[in-house]
Amino acid sequence: MVKYIARRLAFAAFLVIAVASVSLVLARLAPGDFATGALGLDARPATIEQMRARYGLNKSIGAQYRDWVVAAAHLDFGRSLLYDRPVRDLIPERAANTAILAVAALAVATLVGLPLGIVSGTRRGGFVPGLIRSTSLVLLSTPPLLMSLFFVFLAARTGWLPIAGMRSAVTPAGGATLDLLTHLIVPAAAIALPLAAMLERLQAQAMTDVIGEPFVRAALARGVPRSRVVWRDALKPALRPVASMYGLIVGSLLSGSFAVEVITAWPGLGRLMLEALRARDVYLVAGCAGAGAMFLAFGTLVSDLALGLVEPRARE
Amino acid sequence: MTGHPRKVAAFIVTLATIAAACRSGPRPETPASTSAVQRGGEIVASVRSEPRSFNRLAARDSTTVLVSTLTQAKLVRVNQATQEAEPWLADSWTTSPDGRVVTLKLRPGVVFSDGHPFTADDVVFTFDAAYDEQTHGGVGDSLRVNGQKLKVAAIDPQTVAITFPQPFAAGVQLLDNLPMLPRHKLEAALKGGTLGSAWSLSTPLSEVVALGPFVVARYDPGQRVVFDRNPHYFRKAADGSALPYLDRITVDIIPDQNAEMLRLEAGQLDVMTSEIAPEAYALLKRAADAGRVKLLDLGVGYNANALWFNLKPGAIPDRDRARWLQRDELRRAISMGVNRQEIIDTVFLGAGVAVYGPETPSNKQWYWAGEPKTPYDPAGAKQLLASIGLVDRNSDGMLEDADNKPARFTLLTQKGRPDLERGANVIRDNLQKIGVIVDVAALDSGAVIEGFLSAKYEAVYFNPDKTALDPALNQDFWVSSGSAHMWNMNQKTPATEWERRIDELMARQTAASDPRERKVRYDEVQKIFAEHLPILYFAAPRIYVGVSSRLTNLTPAISKPQLLWSADTIAVAR
Repeated sequence: MVKYIARRLAFAAFLVIAVASVSLVLARLAPGDFATGALGLDARPATIEQMRARYGLNKSIGAQYRDWVVAAAHLDFGRSLLYDRPVRDLIPERAANTAILAVAALAVATLVGLPLGIVSGTRRGGFVPGLIRSTSLVLLSTPPLLMSLFFVFLAARTGWLPIAGMRSAVTPAGGATLDLLTHLIVPAAAIALPLAAMLERLQAQAMTDVIGEPFVRAALARGVPRSRVVWRDALKPALRPVASMYGLIVGSLLSGSFAVEVITAWPGLGRLMLEALRARDVYLVAGCAGAGAMFLAFGTLVSDLALGLVEPRARE
Repeated sequence: MTGHPRKVAAFIVTLATIAAACRSGPRPETPASTSAVQRGGEIVASVRSEPRSFNRLAARDSTTVLVSTLTQAKLVRVNQATQEAEPWLADSWTTSPDGRVVTLKLRPGVVFSDGHPFTADDVVFTFDAAYDEQTHGGVGDSLRVNGQKLKVAAIDPQTVAITFPQPFAAGVQLLDNLPMLPRHKLEAALKGGTLGSAWSLSTPLSEVVALGPFVVARYDPGQRVVFDRNPHYFRKAADGSALPYLDRITVDIIPDQNAEMLRLEAGQLDVMTSEIAPEAYALLKRAADAGRVKLLDLGVGYNANALWFNLKPGAIPDRDRARWLQRDELRRAISMGVNRQEIIDTVFLGAGVAVYGPETPSNKQWYWAGEPKTPYDPAGAKQLLASIGLVDRNSDGMLEDADNKPARFTLLTQKGRPDLERGANVIRDNLQKIGVIVDVAALDSGAVIEGFLSAKYEAVYFNPDKTALDPALNQDFWVSSGSAHMWNMNQKTPATEWERRIDELMARQTAASDPRERKVRYDEVQKIFAEHLPILYFAAPRIYVGVSSRLTNLTPAISKPQLLWSADTIAVAR
């Protein structure tokens, strides 16, 4: 097991370095740079050149990448050109915000999606499974952008929830935690509902497959109550395919949260990366991409470990 | 004793002569009557992105400029509503007879928000900081006349002399570009070469001292900046009471305009710092009709989107194509072949006006009323194109040049700006009707700017925002050696006779002290511009902003930030 974990950790480290490197190189290769965008048309050419020299943007791409790798080896990921702060300081505060949103959305999606998937996967016909399936299909085909706009619209019209942001300017009477939770509802729901629909579909399919297995049919034939067979015998094997997808889901949460963070003004990693990309802040782009890869690697690791626990063959 | 009265008379005449030679600045202005204005309260404003710094010298993005507007003060302020220079930290000023030296008297008793007095040493320090080569905020570049720096000297703690390298008609208006900074807080950073990193977003806020109406009280990364009233603010209302009226302004960072509009409509936002997009007008109009918000029509914007060709000699590698791509006739034909009303209807959903030159009618002082209004005339455009050898040679409905190559060019524009992308598409469709193929390439703004800075493009459709309304402050755009002379930048000598003529006229226009002479010269410049059309303009939008109904005492202006530029006099109704 230790060897298995070590192998997965090595792969995670490789993934983070590769993604950050490719992001840095691609951001640098695209036409235009931070200096032209930041200084605009009024600047003298000499001023633009001075800024490029200050930030190392006048170096060849190879030299810039080499310097970045050497610094990154000492855990210095460069200085954000946009905010003039170390990338190392900027990323954690935003990554934590994204993690709060992602965990909340994942928890809601899991708590809603998996039970509904079990229900719809174990019953062939009927109104309830049909309703669940139809709702899932509608939610699955709604992009997060539209979903978040819908919830923001709903919040604005009803006045029940804050429309945007993560915390109020003045902490309300209920305290900071309650304030955070009320702000969390709109963005978390916008991410969680399509995700819940995806989990429902996955779980329903897996459950249908397992229900058709001989060991389940045999148990049912022996007269064991259906609910007992489903929840005690069929659930564990039916969770395996869903568990194997969790890593990818965690990774996709980050990319999915881009639009949601922008619409709901959630100060997360996705929004930071968008700002960095717009400004051509190469070091911040690399940092955000690396952090995103870390999310993905973490998710994959957790799901691999979970899979390894329930399916020893997966370790090989 | 008989000589004494003569001496007195001679002394008086001398004084009068000196007084006539020295043009005095206006007296300090105070806000209008304030008896009905409520004090206190707070408002919520919105911006689309975070500030990059609390140091205006280090960054020039719109949010950093807003932070500076709220927290800093200038020697002289250009009133955005009237476009007049008015005394601010400088109480008054005089200009020497040769127009080169401006002597400013500072307002007495002004202190920073930490109680430290503001003196002439701070002024000298701020100019040194602006010209610091390691700071890179671009402010120093806007404080040059013909590429040369101003010289600043402290005469005494309350008096500053600013020497321009040459007579400069716009004079003190230039000082509107520079917020005054505290020497006692930033001198060490300037000396240490780290001014560009000073007052970054991670700086303790107690260090960011202010001369403006507000101080930064809180910064929540990615969420908001909170500004509290500066108790030491120097400006008083007409009744002598302290300004600003508001106790607090919270500036929320809302990247998406849809969310911004919904918050405004729901009463969670009081003022937006950006004008509303044409698509959002109908939604806001309904809310305004229902009395939930106020919709302010500020008039036609100062800037119109612009199309220009690369006129740098040798920049188009294919010489046969350059022969027609760089001709005046092509640009005149495009001006005739593009339906300006269609751009107004498609891009601005009807809320715009046709524009034919570099100034829109809103710039009342400098707009040339005699500019030719080119009518939409596709047939005339085709005739003009035929005169430069672009005719339909194979009867396919499209034009070809003398080598039978299609009349075709690539138009770069900025991705993510609906007005530019839609405008470029209208231009493409209109030109297709007269037989010219346009390939629209939408790129990030940085890539577009890089494209035309390196002269690697054929044509661009972009919005090169003019930084000021006075042409003397836009020298870089007009003169052939200028870095913002879009169609052919940084020329060593004028590439064409008409550019040489514009250079001459602008030199005279900039140096002239008589406003009428300046206007005549600038009209001549615009006439030459209209003859050669180095840049084509088609339409300018009307500017609308939405504000909460509870805001009072507003002074709207067309330029950004349309309302918060005068934040010290904004109040809320109780």
